[in-house]
Amino acid sequence: MAIFNRLPSLRQIAPVYAIAVIIIYTWTAVWFLWNLPSWLFFMTAGEIALVYAYILATNFLESLLVVCGPILLSFVLPSKWFRDSFVARGSSLVILGLGYAMFLALQFQTRDAYPSILLKVWSVALALGLIALLVFVVGKIPFVRRAVEFIAEQVTVFLFIYVPISIVSLFIVLPRVL
Amino acid sequence: MSKFSRREFLKLTSALSGMFALSGLIQNVSLLRTAQNPSRPNILIFVFDAMSALNLSVYGYERNTTPNLERFAERATVFNAHYSAGSFTVPGTASLLTGLYPWTHRAINDAGLVARSLTDRNIFRLVGEQYNRLAFAQNLWPNYFFGQFQKDIDRILPSGSFSQVDYTFGEKFNKDLLTTQRVFDDFFFSQGTPPKSLVFSLFERISLERTLAHTSQGGYPNGLPQNHQYPLYFRLPNVMDGLMSVIGNLKPSSLAYFHLYPPHDPYNPSKQFYLKFDDGWNPVEKPIHPLGDHWSSKAMYRFRRAYDEYIATLDNEFGRLLDFLQSSGVFDTSYVVVTSDHGELLERGERGHVSPLLYEAGIRVPLMISYPGQKSRQDVYSPTISVDVAPTLAHLAGNAIPDWREGELLPVFGGQELSDRSIFTLYALKNPAFGKLIRISVVMRKGNYKLMCYRGYYQEGDKFELYDLQNDPEELTDLYSSTFPVAQAMQDELLAKLDAVNAPYKS
Repeated sequence: MAIFNRLPSLRQIAPVYAIAVIIIYTWTAVWFLWNLPSWLFFMTAGEIALVYAYILATNFLESLLVVCGPILLSFVLPSKWFRDSFVARGSSLVILGLGYAMFLALQFQTRDAYPSILLKVWSVALALGLIALLVFVVGKIPFVRRAVEFIAEQVTVFLFIYVPISIVSLFIVLPRVL
Repeated sequence: MSKFSRREFLKLTSALSGMFALSGLIQNVSLLRTAQNPSRPNILIFVFDAMSALNLSVYGYERNTTPNLERFAERATVFNAHYSAGSFTVPGTASLLTGLYPWTHRAINDAGLVARSLTDRNIFRLVGEQYNRLAFAQNLWPNYFFGQFQKDIDRILPSGSFSQVDYTFGEKFNKDLLTTQRVFDDFFFSQGTPPKSLVFSLFERISLERTLAHTSQGGYPNGLPQNHQYPLYFRLPNVMDGLMSVIGNLKPSSLAYFHLYPPHDPYNPSKQFYLKFDDGWNPVEKPIHPLGDHWSSKAMYRFRRAYDEYIATLDNEFGRLLDFLQSSGVFDTSYVVVTSDHGELLERGERGHVSPLLYEAGIRVPLMISYPGQKSRQDVYSPTISVDVAPTLAHLAGNAIPDWREGELLPVFGGQELSDRSIFTLYALKNPAFGKLIRISVVMRKGNYKLMCYRGYYQEGDKFELYDLQNDPEELTDLYSSTFPVAQAMQDELLAKLDAVNAPYKS
């Protein structure tokens, strides 16, 4: 079907998804480890494991949501612009997009210091424009393109760990909340 | 005129003493009757977070902070030396709800939990299934306990009920309240640190920022009253209106526990009370404590003023609630309990309550109970403690007093004034809930004396302070060495108690 022809293959999606998984899961895992000492004071190992199952399930949904971005772009943009170099452009989009998210997240250090200026429409538009430009450039420079593709392919191995435990977590969590 | 014989005199005196005894008993009998009546009276509990008894005019504070609580006191039993067993929300509320000391229930850490084997010990179970049991807390830490006691509570109102802005999330999953609160409200969406996830948390934070920017702060010069740890902003009139609506719809024989966040920091008084106490008044100057935060006296003046104004704001709204309880006849059919989970220390350079300093302002809290139809004020002066409330509620509900209780029945409500009993308040934030208590401060009140012990804070070992609260209510003169016999006896008792509570733990 023509519609599916516009979508990247699973083989192309996997490396991009792996990049998203690595960044999203690692960011949360760091904070989890930051919280862990205080939780160990009053939570049992079983309770902490259950909390981590929720965290993994949430990260899983987030990573699926994030990978939908490049897939959607591949669907709406001409093939030459995005789909033909999906792994490189998709991975760089995910890296830069989540990098920007990290930058924004780090602005929320205290409750009263919301980074209003960084959330202005022009500021966000500027950042997204810059990301789009860089993503375009990545596809155009063969060395950078190959480097991004190489990294993305390498981290795919982590999917064999994260995806199964996330699915198990989802099966633990869903009956508890639905 | 006939002579008044000795026999007639004896008859008369015995009749008179019998009448006096009877009049004294009438009240207790009426309490007992309500306790045993099949149509049991409702029990309404109002807990105001971080409300120190020492800042309330109803307890003799210099500033007129609580005219409406004074109005309530005119028809209630006022406990003048009531203490919280914990010095911040988690241990304080857990003790109130379970009737256990913090070293027993082990909810001693921020966002801590009651020992899993003790979750069947709570006021909701104590009043029994014949009661409709409702719980509401604007502070999410008590909500954790509600999650633990979930099978004993018929209805838990979301903490964001009656709020202007509510970005709490865990309660949306009522089926697994305990874990979802921990995951979402205490982890992913916790405030004061960067968002814990790059998609949902960040989106939540940006959305909250946007919502707050478009929320009117009108009427509150310092900003809307809020929960300082969770994204929950509210207007006090709305909260009180909400409570009135809930109370108005309570079925007969209900227990309703309402835990309101004010006057907890941040102190956000309404416009009506903002700067009302900018009068230059300062309490007695007290020496800076080495374990305190070393705030300047200028800063302390500002904190105290704002705290008092926030209390007055809350009291003003409580006045409306009082009018409602009166006009709707709730007072005739209900026990109404007003108390707090802990106090607020604004002295010796220390501000707040998460502190090893357990001076009176931080641990003495209001307790006023109005029984059905009570029309006049009664005062209790002997020391009482928050662990007394749970067994008393069991008694008032007509149920057996649990044998595991660590408190006593409150005087007037089935108990007696026990002026020489020992009561304790514990601060043990930096200790594991599953191990020995090694870095703690603890207070023992016995009679007029109060012994404070700091363990694990000083290199030289346990350090003690002793005060005679009768003659030195401001705790200015440490008698620890000069009145040594008293100190020694109290110290021995306290240390024996600590040994006993640590005994079940290996490390």
